[in-house]
Amino acid sequence: MKLDEKLKNIRRSPWVFHLNSGSCNACDIEILDALTPYFDAERFGVKLVASPRHADVILFTGPVTREVLPKVIRTLNAVPRPRIVVAIGSCAVGGGIWWNTYSTIGGFPKLKEILKEQGVEIDRVVYVPGCPARPEAIIYGLLLALGYVKQKVSKVTKVVES
Amino acid sequence: MQVDKIAKLTKIVTIGLKTGRVTIKYPFGAPLVTESFRGAISIDNTKCWGCGACVLICPPNALSMKFEKDNIIIEYFKGRCIFCGMCADVCPANAISVTKEFELASTDLEDLKEYVIHRTSKCSICGKPIGPTSELRSVIKSQPVSEEYINLCSDCRKKLFAKAISIRFGAST
Repeated sequence: MKLDEKLKNIRRSPWVFHLNSGSCNACDIEILDALTPYFDAERFGVKLVASPRHADVILFTGPVTREVLPKVIRTLNAVPRPRIVVAIGSCAVGGGIWWNTYSTIGGFPKLKEILKEQGVEIDRVVYVPGCPARPEAIIYGLLLALGYVKQKVSKVTKVVES
Repeated sequence: MQVDKIAKLTKIVTIGLKTGRVTIKYPFGAPLVTESFRGAISIDNTKCWGCGACVLICPPNALSMKFEKDNIIIEYFKGRCIFCGMCADVCPANAISVTKEFELASTDLEDLKEYVIHRTSKCSICGKPIGPTSELRSVIKSQPVSEEYINLCSDCRKKLFAKAISIRFGAST
């Protein structure tokens, strides 16, 4: 895989950019918590940067409100390839509690379709559910994006015998 | 000034030595999960009736119900779940339990979905779908209902009951 070869270079120290798209701030506080000495994401070289042009990984929170949509597209367009997005929280993953409101478009999966129309490619997306996601869950999602750990969940189908 | 600076430094160093190392070694060690922590729910398919109480109470519609020809499918989408645990409170069969699972990160949305498939039982007269088979069985267990009526849809049941009453009051057929 070409992407995995490129990821090897990033694995040394991923620089992250925190992109808030109308989140309630709970997930944002948990991201800061993951960077504090208590959970210490800097063990893996994670560094918060101020510009999307310097970033390897985007930490994406929020259900993408209509107001912020053009800015989000512009920001993601500025990120150099390979673009890796870690969608954090229920809102970013599936719309969350705002799954059918008029003012949000409903999380990253819907945004991905819009980005495809705009010609912005996303190389890898990792969805981290949680309301808000725990700092450990954020670290786990980030490591999954970079290929350190293996995915634990899979699709489950249960049939009720009758 | 120099003395002040050294005094400050020694104060910080003593606090640091007293506290020790606080960083948890998460991916290589145990996570910091407390007793009251709520993670993803798990649905026990041996207990579930398919009544849909959890689907009605779910605030973000993470649990949804789909009616197909022969099946009733309860879909649990972990990505939208806010881990409130209301479904576990409201479940009449105690089939839903809240686990401490939080490592739910995945690269595909389909991996976050969980399906519970119920078989639909049909009306023995007109063939209309009436509900999940397991729900009917649990109703028979808990209530003394005639087995003649349990396999009927509401319309056929009304007709049969009206017929029985009318015969009792002297109708010809």
